[in-house]
Amino acid sequence: MNKLLHISLRLIFLFVGMLTLSDGIGRENKTKVSKRTFAISSVGVDMQTKEVRGTVTDSTGSALPGVTISVKNYNKAVSTDVDGKYILDVPDENAVLVFSLVGYDSQEVSVTGRAVIDIQLEPSSSQIEEAVVVAFGRQKRTDLIGSVTSINPEELKVPSSNLTTALAGRLAGVIAYQRSGEPGADNAEFFIRGVTTFGYKKDPLILIDNIELSTTDLARLNPDDIASFSIMKDATATALYGARGANGVILVTTKEGKEGKARINFRLENSVSMPTKNIELADPLTYMRLNNEAVLTRNPLGELMYTEEEINNTVPGSGSYIFPTVDWRKELFKDYTMNQRANLSVSGGGKVARYYVAGTFARDNGVLKVDPRNNFNNNIDLRTSSLRANVNINLTPTTELITRLSGTFDDYTGPIYSGGGFYTRVMRANPAKFPAYYPIDEDHQHVKHIMFGNTVEGNYLNPYADMVRGYKDYARSNMNAQFQVSQNFNFITPGLSARALINTARVSFFDLVRQYSPFYYARGGYNIRDNTYQVNIINEERGTDYLTYEPGQKLINSSVYLETAVNYNRTFAEKHNLSGMLVYILRESLDANTSTLQGSLPFRNLGLSGRATYSYDNRYYAEFNFGYNGTERFYKAQRFGFFPSAGVAWTVSNEKFWEPLKNVVTNLRLRGTYGLVGNDAIGEGRFLYLSEVNVNNPDMGAVFGRNNGESRNGVSISRYSDLNITWETAAKTNLAIELGLWNRWNFIGEYFREHRTNILQERASSPASMGLWQTPVANIGEATGQGVDMSLDYNQHFSNSMWIQARANFTYATSAFKVFEEYDYENEWWKSKVGYPMNQQWGYIAESLFVDEAEVANSPRQNFGEYTAGDIKYRDVNDDGQITALDQVPLGYPTMPEIVYGFGFSFGYKNFDVSSFFQGAGRETFWINPEATAPFVSYYYSDAERSSGTRFTNQLLQAYAEDHWSEDNRNSYALFPRLSVNPIDNNTQRSTWFMRNGAFLRLKQIELGYSLPQNWTDRLHMENVRLYVNGTNLLNFSQFKLWDVEMAGNGLQYPLQRVFNIGLQVSL
Amino acid sequence: MKKILIYIYGLLLTAFGSCQSYLDIVPDNIATIENAFNMRVSAERFLFSCYSYLPKLSAIEHNPAFTAGDEFWVHENYPTVGWEIARGFQNINNPYLNYWQGTTGQGSNRTKDLYQAIRDCNIFLENVDLVPDLGHGEKVRWVAEVKFLKAYYHFYLIRMYGPIPLKKENLSIDAGLDEVKVPRDPVDAGFDYVVELLDEATSDLPPYITSEAAELGRITQVIALSLKAHVLVTAASPLFNGNPDYANFTDKQGNLLFNPTFSMEKWGKAKEACKAAIDAAEQAGHRLYYYSQSGLQHNVSDEIRIQMNIRNAVTEKWNDEIIWGHTNSMTGNMQRQSTPRGVDPATRANANVHGNAAVPLKIAAQFYSENGVPIEEDTSWDYTGQFDLQVGAETEKYYIKEGYTTAKFNFNREPRYYANLGFDGGIWYGMDKFNDNDTWFVSAKKGDPASNVTRDKFNVTGIWGKKLVNYQNSIGETSYTIEQYPWPIYRLANIYLLYAEALNEVDGPSPEVFEFLDLIRERAGLLGVEESWASYSRNPTKPQSKEGLREIIHQERLIELALEGQRFWDLRRWKKAIEVMNAPITGWDIEQKTAEGYYRERILYNQTFTTSDYLWPIREVEILANKNTVQNHGW
Repeated sequence: MNKLLHISLRLIFLFVGMLTLSDGIGRENKTKVSKRTFAISSVGVDMQTKEVRGTVTDSTGSALPGVTISVKNYNKAVSTDVDGKYILDVPDENAVLVFSLVGYDSQEVSVTGRAVIDIQLEPSSSQIEEAVVVAFGRQKRTDLIGSVTSINPEELKVPSSNLTTALAGRLAGVIAYQRSGEPGADNAEFFIRGVTTFGYKKDPLILIDNIELSTTDLARLNPDDIASFSIMKDATATALYGARGANGVILVTTKEGKEGKARINFRLENSVSMPTKNIELADPLTYMRLNNEAVLTRNPLGELMYTEEEINNTVPGSGSYIFPTVDWRKELFKDYTMNQRANLSVSGGGKVARYYVAGTFARDNGVLKVDPRNNFNNNIDLRTSSLRANVNINLTPTTELITRLSGTFDDYTGPIYSGGGFYTRVMRANPAKFPAYYPIDEDHQHVKHIMFGNTVEGNYLNPYADMVRGYKDYARSNMNAQFQVSQNFNFITPGLSARALINTARVSFFDLVRQYSPFYYARGGYNIRDNTYQVNIINEERGTDYLTYEPGQKLINSSVYLETAVNYNRTFAEKHNLSGMLVYILRESLDANTSTLQGSLPFRNLGLSGRATYSYDNRYYAEFNFGYNGTERFYKAQRFGFFPSAGVAWTVSNEKFWEPLKNVVTNLRLRGTYGLVGNDAIGEGRFLYLSEVNVNNPDMGAVFGRNNGESRNGVSISRYSDLNITWETAAKTNLAIELGLWNRWNFIGEYFREHRTNILQERASSPASMGLWQTPVANIGEATGQGVDMSLDYNQHFSNSMWIQARANFTYATSAFKVFEEYDYENEWWKSKVGYPMNQQWGYIAESLFVDEAEVANSPRQNFGEYTAGDIKYRDVNDDGQITALDQVPLGYPTMPEIVYGFGFSFGYKNFDVSSFFQGAGRETFWINPEATAPFVSYYYSDAERSSGTRFTNQLLQAYAEDHWSEDNRNSYALFPRLSVNPIDNNTQRSTWFMRNGAFLRLKQIELGYSLPQNWTDRLHMENVRLYVNGTNLLNFSQFKLWDVEMAGNGLQYPLQRVFNIGLQVSL
Repeated sequence: MKKILIYIYGLLLTAFGSCQSYLDIVPDNIATIENAFNMRVSAERFLFSCYSYLPKLSAIEHNPAFTAGDEFWVHENYPTVGWEIARGFQNINNPYLNYWQGTTGQGSNRTKDLYQAIRDCNIFLENVDLVPDLGHGEKVRWVAEVKFLKAYYHFYLIRMYGPIPLKKENLSIDAGLDEVKVPRDPVDAGFDYVVELLDEATSDLPPYITSEAAELGRITQVIALSLKAHVLVTAASPLFNGNPDYANFTDKQGNLLFNPTFSMEKWGKAKEACKAAIDAAEQAGHRLYYYSQSGLQHNVSDEIRIQMNIRNAVTEKWNDEIIWGHTNSMTGNMQRQSTPRGVDPATRANANVHGNAAVPLKIAAQFYSENGVPIEEDTSWDYTGQFDLQVGAETEKYYIKEGYTTAKFNFNREPRYYANLGFDGGIWYGMDKFNDNDTWFVSAKKGDPASNVTRDKFNVTGIWGKKLVNYQNSIGETSYTIEQYPWPIYRLANIYLLYAEALNEVDGPSPEVFEFLDLIRERAGLLGVEESWASYSRNPTKPQSKEGLREIIHQERLIELALEGQRFWDLRRWKKAIEVMNAPITGWDIEQKTAEGYYRERILYNQTFTTSDYLWPIREVEILANKNTVQNHGW
């Protein structure tokens, strides 16, 4: 089978090669012909000319300036003036004039002796009606069989330099949500039709101008540069991507130049952003009191953190250095920040070449404060710029050459930890032990550095010191150069064309840190009466007052992509439309900095894909697609996969019998597809079929000798060999209905179902007594997914220059484990994952807090260490007298929303336009992190934090301060269990206690625009000037109040931002 | 233009013509497990890997014998995994110190997976014959070392879990589901297999290490014989020898996992093994350690000299008494945790001295009086007034600071008391002061240099494990320079005491029993057992009966090997934990400033111990993955 395919592939490419050669021959002949034609026509100019004049108007009768009028087959063109008038010399009586203007349908009119030709141009029906970008090509929307959603790039325009934040609720079939608002790290997570695998790669393939790029690259794309944005959802749409398309595909193309005078577009925005919501913290006095309570309630012998004297003398906000209190958030963060964005594009061209050149610059600032005593900026300052040049050149009338050059550059300076790192630091800094810094007093006149505050122990977290002690630089660049040749082979057989494309990309990244080690001071003696105190330095040896440099990561990646395609498209006998396509691709990518040999080897893919479509009379459609792909990741026998798909469609409204209804139901179309798609990114490592052995591992070594003089490294195994490891495969079914009513309402509803097989998973069947280094993995898992996505559009233009648009979309995607190797739960059937969604969580049912010791003694034993009255009581589901993992039951909804929806409207009247957009999510559950919010406890987000020696102690949430179990208030249903200064593992188990509903609805955006009247812009020699203001994340409706619910379990991080934006858009 | 197109298509054709090879990018020589046996040098690395699984016995986080029992206590701001067990929070959900499965945890909290260790040992034994350039002599020695390690890992698991599935040979990775679900082997079969491996290994091991600079710490015949002695004594002890608690403990097939009948033969084998170990040790030059100071240091008094006999037997690396020093578990942190802050009051702010490992009062109480008998038996020791105050006199100046008020409890105790423990008012010889008339002493009442000033670095009982701290350590203003030593897994005194125990079990009191006990006592500056009891005990004939002598041997062992991680296992094998460990953990009232306040017994925790605590629970998921594994009693 394989061999046969290979032979046929080779034949096909030989054929393509020959075609190209013959094209060269053909073109030589043609050139001669055209020269002759030119000679004749230039003679003609001298011989006989005729003047034609007229006015061009739109459907309402107002003049249309800037309409291009050209003479067909003749190198001459003029434009209409401001009154829509034109004058043109034509070569002969039978010349044909072509009237064209962007946004209007072109018209061809033959002169036939007339001297005055007045024309009315019709606005082109929306772009969506025309062509949709599909895998390796374009299809007319009315011909589509596969499930493709495309969006007008204008709708992705949000006041943010991150495109991904605009995806949620705007595209039917996309599940998206945003967990962080930090500049540079605020990518939304998005999945096409949810997640139907518990394997490794879950997110879609992203292709920008055919090139596979990362989420960050997509995030940096400027919507103004986008010509089309489509997502491919079902098997026929993605099968051509074979091994990479199982999770759906996002396909973006950038704009190309259009023939005509240079058009300049310019946009300028300035926005103010601020957190949507800040977490409320308890005041320092409450903090101190409850900290003491937390000590005593667990251990009456425990050492108190604060003496009565300290508590009684502390006055929050007094500024006292003897009894200090700090509002770390105020100390570190500003209330808002300003960001700027600007972009400029120029496009145009003539008969031979067309160009689109665009540049973008955006500056995003963080909300961190800067200490004037430092001479560097430690606030986040992310400058993103990008440059893009797309040039199309007609080498011959049938040969087009396209080059696309683009570069995206991020330059960042910011604090040494991420912005989110400071939010989590504020959440773990003690508010009542020491000030951020001491003023320079008489004893320390010689001191040149900032006297940061700390305690005698010297290891408390001082986030202010961490913030101002240094800064970090990073730079990321992504450069793409693309070269494409398209050849039309109409002279061989009508409808045949081919193209070849080569792209090379370089992505690089580096970061570095410059910082000093802060000097910490602690308060020594004090005298309350005359309000004097003494401070002493506590880390004299470790502090520095000069900067040191630390190199960071340096990443370089290079990739090359080759694609050749042959296309055939022809209509026979006016009714039979036939098209075919074959694409051959080859991809290689190489990482320069890896730590292992396996990582250093190139990543490679190659594949042959094809599509054949047939349609009859715009009523019956059929399509067949396939992808035949190879990847370097698997063993020889498993390397190639074949992924076929097929679909049919029926446009009912084009049937004769529908005629009577056509005025009401303008469009009714049914379609269905089925097919296979693969996923080769099934595991974190590469070459999962190979064993991975480190024969020189220092962690597994030993040492001997009187003074430990003899040491050897050891051997470790991190993977066992398994030659059978192969693709994950998805079988996708899609059924859709399209409905158009009165030419104004458009509805598309799709039902999808998917069956994923060969999901890589760990074998549960090997007991520890086997002594294996790693649990073996195999392609044994299966999962299913299903759901619906729907979109509804409404469009109406009224004659009095008023228009309304409304749109809504809805996506519901759920999934279920089908085959999952797990322990054989004989009695505890609820532990089995089979039948539950991918992101379903298991946990304990929390019944209440224990009222007293007696209840503890009389309840099933809980196996998570220390617990007592006021701690969480779990339900013994299997009734065996103790709480173990067997008592975990599926809890709530998955942690990723199963429903994402959005709706909005736009309204325009004369020069004003208003739009608003709501977005929501449903069927999502999340957990408040009980460890990170447990007051007074040390919580570490990483091993680096843990080993830093710094003491992080969690702040006290106001909500917990108000509502927790205490010996005085034995409320069994308090928000937080009995306090403790040490982690109580019993209370941090995943349970219903900290489970919350993640559903929300938010007013995502409102925009108000005003376009300058035509007579003003004319005077300014501009085509269009529009001023607008908009706001995002303005209102939120949810049951959850502690923080912005969309951040879900991530709530202590950099908050989502509310943005107010003012912008100016100018076209020349 | 034509050329470019030809070039592009040409390129593609070439690429496609070799599409299999385009994807064939993995070089052939990727490391596999066989690579480890291609050369002697990599096989040696594999050998060292087999060693690397030895549990880190000097680490307070890893060795259950430190904090999972009652020998050391910590506080909630310096919790250890073992302390969770000590407080009764052991569980089947995710057992603490789970050496059966190994636990993944942050950094030092990770527990080694001993089944993985055994698998590696088996891989080594299966493949070592393949190494082409490995000489015969070396191969024989390596095989013997790996067999020893395999035996040790099995023993470590048996001691914790009782009956375990023995892994004589590796199962293939793709073994069938039924094949991997192995049942637990009876505990006797386990001990037999360990002994069998040791017997196979012993003769091929070197009698002693000749290349000391490079090889000290590798396995010798003496180590193998000592382990065998330890294994057989364990097998003969009440926990495993006819234990009625487990009389009905069977696997799913109905096989008895514990032999319910007591067998004196087991003690007989143990006795022989101990004797063989002692003979081999003495032949290899091992002897009880006696301190002899170097010329540079001052002449020390007898009191200090005897203390140094005891302290240095543990902390002086490679002294003659050390049979097995664990070079891969150097004793660093445990010394830091055992040193009081502010021994030199000028360095009291030094945060590198932690002193969190606190010795409970009951451990201090088990040390004899100066007359070499238990304090509650001593006719001349004021047991009822033990917490009354007394001022240190000149005659006791090598034990207690002259003129310092402390409890009677600290007075008139045997030298090992002062060698083992640091306490309020106690002399601390060393630490850069080697003139024994001018030494440091500990002062630990609230506000004193050694008292609790920071939350996470203080001693919760007021008693420090001085024995584990090398006297040459040096505390600076901010630094603490520690003389690290390989953790002594076996020292000669341990084997002497095992022998005495086995002798008494087999034959009852005999001169040979007293000979070995008295060797230990003599080094500790005490009179012989019979003489001490006859002269000072309320129960002067106690050594004459087998039962009485058993108690004496047990206490002698608890004292001599105190703080060395033996008590935890000994109390278990004697089945005494249930009485000893159902008592409160107490310490001095460290929050008090005055002597009157400080010398009150403060209850820290009411420890409980049930029969199920004798053996570790098996993690629940292991039983789910292997239905043939039965859970231990009571879990």
